[in-house]
Amino acid sequence: MSGENDYADLTFRNLNLDEEEESTNIQVTAGSLGQILTLGLLTVGYLFDYLVVTENTSMFAYMGSPVLAAWDVSSVDWMFMYTLALLLFNAVLPLYNNPRLTGYYWRQFRKNRLAVFSGWIVIGISLMGLLGPILFDPPTLSLTDAYLPPVGITARPEGTPISGVWKYPLGTNHQGQGMLKLLVYGARVSLQIALISTLVATGIGAVVGATGAFVGGIVDEVLFRYVDVQSVFPVFIFLLYLVYLFGAELYYIILIFGFFSWEGTARLVRAEALQRTEEAYVQASEAAGASRSWVIGRHIIPNVSSTIVTVATLILPSFVLGEAALAFLGFSEPGTFSWGTTIAGGRGSLSTAPWISTIPGFFLFFFVLCVNSVGDALTDAVDPRGESGE
Amino acid sequence: MGMKWYIARRIAWTVFATWLALTITFGLLALSPSAGELQAAQQAAMQGGNAEEAKENYQERIGLDKPFHERYLDWLVGIVTLNWGWSISRQQTVLTAIGNAYPYSLQYILPSTIFTTFVGYGLGLWGGMHRNQPSDYAGMVIAFFGISIPNFWFAIMLILITGVWFQDAAVLGVALQPFKLPVFYDSDVPISQGWLSVANIKQLILPTVVLSTASLAAQMRYSRAQVLEYVNSDFVKTARAKGGSDAYVLFRHILRVALVPLTNILVGTVLGVVFAGSLIIEQVFQIPGLGQLIFKGITNNDTALVLGPVLISTFLVIFGNLIEDLLYTVLDPRVDYSDR
Repeated sequence: MSGENDYADLTFRNLNLDEEEESTNIQVTAGSLGQILTLGLLTVGYLFDYLVVTENTSMFAYMGSPVLAAWDVSSVDWMFMYTLALLLFNAVLPLYNNPRLTGYYWRQFRKNRLAVFSGWIVIGISLMGLLGPILFDPPTLSLTDAYLPPVGITARPEGTPISGVWKYPLGTNHQGQGMLKLLVYGARVSLQIALISTLVATGIGAVVGATGAFVGGIVDEVLFRYVDVQSVFPVFIFLLYLVYLFGAELYYIILIFGFFSWEGTARLVRAEALQRTEEAYVQASEAAGASRSWVIGRHIIPNVSSTIVTVATLILPSFVLGEAALAFLGFSEPGTFSWGTTIAGGRGSLSTAPWISTIPGFFLFFFVLCVNSVGDALTDAVDPRGESGE
Repeated sequence: MGMKWYIARRIAWTVFATWLALTITFGLLALSPSAGELQAAQQAAMQGGNAEEAKENYQERIGLDKPFHERYLDWLVGIVTLNWGWSISRQQTVLTAIGNAYPYSLQYILPSTIFTTFVGYGLGLWGGMHRNQPSDYAGMVIAFFGISIPNFWFAIMLILITGVWFQDAAVLGVALQPFKLPVFYDSDVPISQGWLSVANIKQLILPTVVLSTASLAAQMRYSRAQVLEYVNSDFVKTARAKGGSDAYVLFRHILRVALVPLTNILVGTVLGVVFAGSLIIEQVFQIPGLGQLIFKGITNNDTALVLGPVLISTFLVIFGNLIEDLLYTVLDPRVDYSDR
């Protein structure tokens, strides 16, 4: 579309107020219709998997589909798909629909070359976690292949020198599981905990913060007194205890992380939203008879989204590290291949087979480092105050 | 009137928060399965007795047969009178267990906290004052390293380097073997050779370093952000316009407001980092301190043993927040308390 047409279109719309309203309405419904449809489809799929398909059977195998028959979709997988759908419709789509703003953010972000490089690594590891488990079978136990060093290295883990083989490019651990596959499957666990927990935490935090700021009064007081109490508890120990009481299943850990780490988000969003509640567009919306939930969901939360993104990138790495630490201490679901579990498994043979602990730890460190670097650059990109330096 | 009223309300809130923390803790205690009861039942079953009867006997002995509100009141009174319960797995009172364990934690937490506070705050202030200069970038690299490295993996890597590779490595012909550090903490050393003996200090180096990296980074980032927030503010500009030197502006104006959150950072963030960190560090290095006490309490289902240290840290955070808010009234003249 050329600029001239745009302009003509605009004047035409200005003259014809009814039609403008109609066209924006259609636009809104197209986006949210897709979201409702996708989420509905996922819900139906989940209910089908949960209620109809027997346990430990793949939903696809149950339906007789040869494709994906090996994939027994877990609760975490369902939550993950929900998260991806929500991100697609609420983060990617608005950015796509708003190329001018997206371009501005990108130009700001691009100034930090290190962050761009880190961003590619984050994308790479995320793709590895997303696609790897679809392409490769899970690592299998094979005691005859235990303690194989990575390719190109000769070591004596059990006295006799052995060299790495191409079947296991990064060697194997004490149970003969390939390190590369453990890395790929571990990347998925880290990615799942990172995205789902962050979405839950920032979601609750944003709603609580915006509600407190906009409604004010007793609601604000009660919500943020609770935030005070939650921030007082030693969360990690609390998590350990809950995980111990109720089991170390991954979806459980993910939800506990999400539900007990939103207080920082709520505080920051509240501080930001307090300024927004005074804006003319909020008053206009209220004057037009909009309900509180409409104003919060339509005006306040979208206008503090830069704060939300900033906080999300700050808490996301802590979830990845927290899950790895829990797994390292032995609190992880059997059958999931967390990087923390793999690192802990290599502790006993640190002097003879150091690659078992070293390689996954290096990936974990690098992943978190890159996320932090991207987060730092994003904060600078969306925060206009960052430009006012000497 | 305004400020006094504010302080009174703040203290009242502290009391309320403490009570709330105690109540939630009691709720957890009541919800969780009782290890002693299971033990008694198992014992009775193994000896051919009646498991149900043993359970009831146990409940009577511990006082579980009393009504809920009486147990709750007993428990509150117990906390106030320093009767914090009995640890099943250790066969001693919780306070005795804490008393035995805390010196082992304190001996590396204390040096680490003092070091990271001064160095972390110093580096953060320096970075904020010299924004986007090479020294600031160097500081940021350290901070990024500190917040990104998983501390359990860092501990393992340090063990690998100083404990394993130093055994037969050499740098420039000098063998590193004499610098080799012990892999695990030997809890007999402080008793047989003294807490300040070379052998004890040597085995505390690695835990201190690991604990310091994370909290150093947290304090650096925080203090740098504080300085950046104030460095362009009106009162700093005024001070500069009057001809104040860098040092004068920093110490007289920026530090005055930037120091207030230090108590919160120290107590809140550092306690968080320390408690989570010490749990992992003591697990990796096998130090019999508070972190390991909590971990063993959790894995042995010994709820009273877990809740004791948790309560202590909760009290410290509540108290630290109170001190922070009270300090604001003294140190930050901008805050207006008339409408609070």
